[in-house]
Amino acid sequence: MPDTADILRLESLQVHFPIQRGLFDRVLGRPAGAVRAVDGIDLNIGRGEIVALVGESGSGKTTVGRVITKLAQPTGGRLLFEGRNMTAERGSSALRPYRHRVQMIFQDAYQALNPRHTVFDIVAEPLRSLRLVDNVTQLAERVSKALAAAGLNPAGDFFSRFPHELSGGQRQRVVIAGALAVKPELIIADEPVSMLDVSIRAQILQVLVDLRDKHNMALLFITHDLPLAWLIADRIAVLYLGKLVEIGSADEITFNPRHPYTVALRNATPQIGGNAGRAVLPALQGEVPSAARVPKGCRFHPRCPLTFDRCKKEEPPPIEVGPQHLSACWLAK
Amino acid sequence: MSESIVQYYPRSRTRAIKAFLGQFLGHGGARLGLLCLVFFVAVAAVPTFLVGPLQTAINATGDFLMPPSGEHLLGTDEVGRDVLNLVVHGARISLVIALLATVISLVVGTTIGMTAGYYGGRVDVWLMRLTDFFFVMPSFVLALVITPVVLEVMGRGGEILGFRPSLFVIIVVIGMTSWAFVARIVRSQTLSLKERTFIDRARVVGSSNSSIMVRHILPNLVPQIAANGALVVAGAIYVETSLSFLGLGDPLQPSWGTLLSLAQRAGAASAGAWWYLAAPGVCVLSVSLSFVLIGNALDDTFNPRRRVIP
Repeated sequence: MPDTADILRLESLQVHFPIQRGLFDRVLGRPAGAVRAVDGIDLNIGRGEIVALVGESGSGKTTVGRVITKLAQPTGGRLLFEGRNMTAERGSSALRPYRHRVQMIFQDAYQALNPRHTVFDIVAEPLRSLRLVDNVTQLAERVSKALAAAGLNPAGDFFSRFPHELSGGQRQRVVIAGALAVKPELIIADEPVSMLDVSIRAQILQVLVDLRDKHNMALLFITHDLPLAWLIADRIAVLYLGKLVEIGSADEITFNPRHPYTVALRNATPQIGGNAGRAVLPALQGEVPSAARVPKGCRFHPRCPLTFDRCKKEEPPPIEVGPQHLSACWLAK
Repeated sequence: MSESIVQYYPRSRTRAIKAFLGQFLGHGGARLGLLCLVFFVAVAAVPTFLVGPLQTAINATGDFLMPPSGEHLLGTDEVGRDVLNLVVHGARISLVIALLATVISLVVGTTIGMTAGYYGGRVDVWLMRLTDFFFVMPSFVLALVITPVVLEVMGRGGEILGFRPSLFVIIVVIGMTSWAFVARIVRSQTLSLKERTFIDRARVVGSSNSSIMVRHILPNLVPQIAANGALVVAGAIYVETSLSFLGLGDPLQPSWGTLLSLAQRAGAASAGAWWYLAAPGVCVLSVSLSFVLIGNALDDTFNPRRRVIP
């Protein structure tokens, strides 16, 4: 079972991207707008815990991952790693200890691998740049261990291959091996299986779950797929337009959702055998609004089937609806 | 799962070079270009051994504007010098100018283009304004301004880094006026490369900016640099010809460009002395072509996706 101490904590994390104003707007004195990609998120991940971050495209889930891996700079809030404030840390040498412990798995494995590097160089890169090995023998040992742990056997066969010589599943395994090689304590997995064939998905997911079971690695699993999140995660956080609308244990969120958006997400999942016995809310209408024009009040109200007056004026705070289960909806109680 | 630990032997340098040469020489064009270039380099290395000392109007051996014959394989010029002798001696000057100018141009262009593209922002703006400045600077005017100054300071007989001043000026001028084009191309390619996910990954696994540039961006720029390097060599030979034509070349060490302008001034074309124009012309053409062929083959070799997988 997961440890209780948090390894990572996000405190009202905020990422706003400024919108370039045209000359016309500047002359008219219109205020500069901002894309509120992430708009105040509180999230904690325990040691060895698997947390799924679920949301539609445009909900800001990838940006959250980029902030945690220090690829994007937050405009507000804090990023705490084991209680240490990492928000302002910058530069590759200053971040080296952090990089050693937090790694990332990318969605598009083909794009994430330099086409001119061999598999060995790709997996060895973190070990070299974080200075974790002293000599080539050690390097080779750790690379082959990482490849084997990611399910590439025999590892030696892959050393001198190039990414274009591998299948999609093998490429994703190489990306995973690269993240594993440094033995991190937290892995951010951004849609790690969405580009893969369904038949490969289960194997890759098994690799990720094994990591937690064997090495007590924590995992932030970013996905748009609620059933997948339920399958792999201990807890699920549902993200809508840059804000968490519901968070709770995987079973609670999946079988007892208390936010209309979560219900809609669940209903949108096709199921063999039809939709009998589903909650009785109509399917979601329309698109996610632009993060540059976030609706007033509850940000879900323009699409919500249950919306009423209060939703248009006041933004609901996270309301405790059960043990460890928060829902940001006026009707959640 | 982890018992399959395999010994890894990093490829030794000799083996890597062997593998590279094997790939590279697999291209017919590369073999032809290399053969041609080796021939010219060999000629440039020992001109006196092949055709005797450089002929001048004083020690000319033939009649005026004689067509090719057994005695003068490529005919003679307007003062009776053997054209073969002139062309062979010109090879060294032309090749040295072209290669050194290209090296300057590629090193400066790649460094500036990659830095501007990678860091972006203010660095990009200032470096690109600098590039624009050199982009529009006409090489002739620059050479016209620099040459007399350098000659005044050094004197015609002096040497700069082992080169005669006028030669040195031509090399520097061609190098400085051709890098802007390389920088623009390298910058645009860098802009697209740095958005690729593998750069993000490199950052996440802890690589520093310099290591990302050297290990991730530069190798992906090699095709562009190699292909454009070949063009820069061809361009350098052309600019050298033009500069020599304007009288900025070194009269004591005629290059192919100098020969072409001498032929032009001697009225070789209207006099029907085709050998006088053709000899340096064909040399310029074959060297430029060799570089283009080699550039293409390098592109193929460095791009593993185009490799034939055995």
